[in-house]
Amino acid sequence: MSLAAESPLQSSSSSDDFAAFLDAELDADSSNSSPNGESNDDEEIDLKEERIKRRKVEMSETIEVIESSKTADVNKEKSVLSSESTKPNLCPHPGFIKGLCLMCGQIEEDDGSGVALSYIHKDLKLGSHEMNRLRGADLRNLLHVTADEDHLLKQADLLQDDPNRSLFKLGSMHMLTKLRPFVRTFLKEASPMFEMYVYTMAERCYALEMARLLDPSNIYFNSKVISQSDCTQRHQKGLDVVLGAESVVVILDDTELVWQKHKDNLIVMERYHYFASSCHQFGFNMKSLSQCKKDESDTEGALANVLNDLKHVHHIFFDPALDTDLSSRDVREMLKKVRQDVLHGCKIAFSRVFPSTVRAADQHIWRIAEQLGALCTTDVDSSVTHVVSTDTGTAKARWAVQNEKFLVNPRWVEAANYFWCRQKEDDYVV
Amino acid sequence: MFFHISMEKNMQLHPRHFGPHLRDKLVAKLMKDVEGTCSGRHGFVVAITGVDDIGKGLIREGTGFVTFPVRYQCVVFRPFKGEILEAVVTMVNKMGFFAEAGPVQIFVSNHLIPDDMEFQTGDVPNYTTSDRSVRIQKDSEVRLKIIGTRVDATEIFCIGTIKDDFLGVINDPGAAA
Repeated sequence: MSLAAESPLQSSSSSDDFAAFLDAELDADSSNSSPNGESNDDEEIDLKEERIKRRKVEMSETIEVIESSKTADVNKEKSVLSSESTKPNLCPHPGFIKGLCLMCGQIEEDDGSGVALSYIHKDLKLGSHEMNRLRGADLRNLLHVTADEDHLLKQADLLQDDPNRSLFKLGSMHMLTKLRPFVRTFLKEASPMFEMYVYTMAERCYALEMARLLDPSNIYFNSKVISQSDCTQRHQKGLDVVLGAESVVVILDDTELVWQKHKDNLIVMERYHYFASSCHQFGFNMKSLSQCKKDESDTEGALANVLNDLKHVHHIFFDPALDTDLSSRDVREMLKKVRQDVLHGCKIAFSRVFPSTVRAADQHIWRIAEQLGALCTTDVDSSVTHVVSTDTGTAKARWAVQNEKFLVNPRWVEAANYFWCRQKEDDYVV
Repeated sequence: MFFHISMEKNMQLHPRHFGPHLRDKLVAKLMKDVEGTCSGRHGFVVAITGVDDIGKGLIREGTGFVTFPVRYQCVVFRPFKGEILEAVVTMVNKMGFFAEAGPVQIFVSNHLIPDDMEFQTGDVPNYTTSDRSVRIQKDSEVRLKIIGTRVDATEIFCIGTIKDDFLGVINDPGAAA
């Protein structure tokens, strides 16, 4: 019987093993003989009793068990385990929790090569090999979405404001938080399609409080809240602590700055300015939403738009008509393709948007427009369809009006970037 | 595994407790100090069952404290490598699941969960076989084998496996479904 055959092997291998301890303390060797007789009885009793047992275990009992046959490939996983327990130095040590190897239980020898995943458990560290394996294994019908919660899903402020049912007061942190409209529906609809993570540069306790507000029953963000202390680099967010392959992660954030290494996965979203103090913080002198006594529209706000975009990307990614293998599809390619369609067919000339002394192709707005599929040019000619300008008096602007081309302000390009669709030019007149 | 052993400890007592109930105060202090602690050699002290002997007290130089050597009997719990335990699952995630057997927390990583059980995410994350006959979720009882232990000052942490024969779910709270 396998149980009896394994125990004499293990009892000699380590000092904190119970059998060795007993031997040492009692000077008797009764522990090895008893399991031998009982195990055969156990086998018969098991087949009669109704215990919840895996079918695989019952099949393995019929396999001949002599010690040497353990190395046969018939029951590969059992042989791997027994060889690991007799020779712990063959274990690949995929990761460590509280200093113990996950697979063989050996104490860790720290060489600093693992990635600390303290948002899952405070003492968990995984080796890079294991992270890759987990990422590769998880390509089921889910993409991964990481969302920055501050200013994206909600906004926190330190003052007092009108009470509202999406407004929460956090006594412990003396803050008032407003949830962005549509956020609960967004989470509910996105969760069957995506595995969601919260990734924020705030402190861990703040991040957990916010996750609790967004997700009171802890369904969406269970063990998936990443905070500043989990980032491996200062001031930069990275996907190395996310257990998902880079080709299937979509990032939603309001700033591009912190995602320098993963710009291709990023969808930039509009900030949610509900409280007046946040407008001041970012240097805007417009009125915040609470000052204007209104709120973002539920069905047409930024979250609703992003949800539609995400659904679209998800649909393309899992399109059964594509003949490429699921594991080789890359969501970054899909994002690029979708973005290219937004301003497809537009040719844009810029006027008084940036100084003519700088290289035009380096400008932020130029690059955004090109990402959105538009062609950009410095000079006007007959193929130009749009002129982007801040001033109606410039030569290019007057040319546009004369030739009945669209004259829009730079916010039109930004709006196309946020909403992922071509906006009506009439709304962005200079 | 539980043991009933005899241990000795030097207890220091403040002079304000001296009086007719000195012994009781000493035993109460012993219980408060020792029960619930953990050591590498003995494991968790679960309960003190009796006091064998209290030796002569020695007054410390410089302070008025008195040190009594106390011999007592107690029940201790110590997990061993290779031991089979029943535990209750407390948390399930992609990396494996956490289970508790009394004061001991055990982690079973997904490497040591049989390959036919897969992690299902959702509002009740669980590991389940492809034919859904066996399921491990929060509050399930499982029988597992310890393969490594680590003793901290206040707790003992173990790594376990359910990949061997006769290990796995004993009782599933959601089994009726």
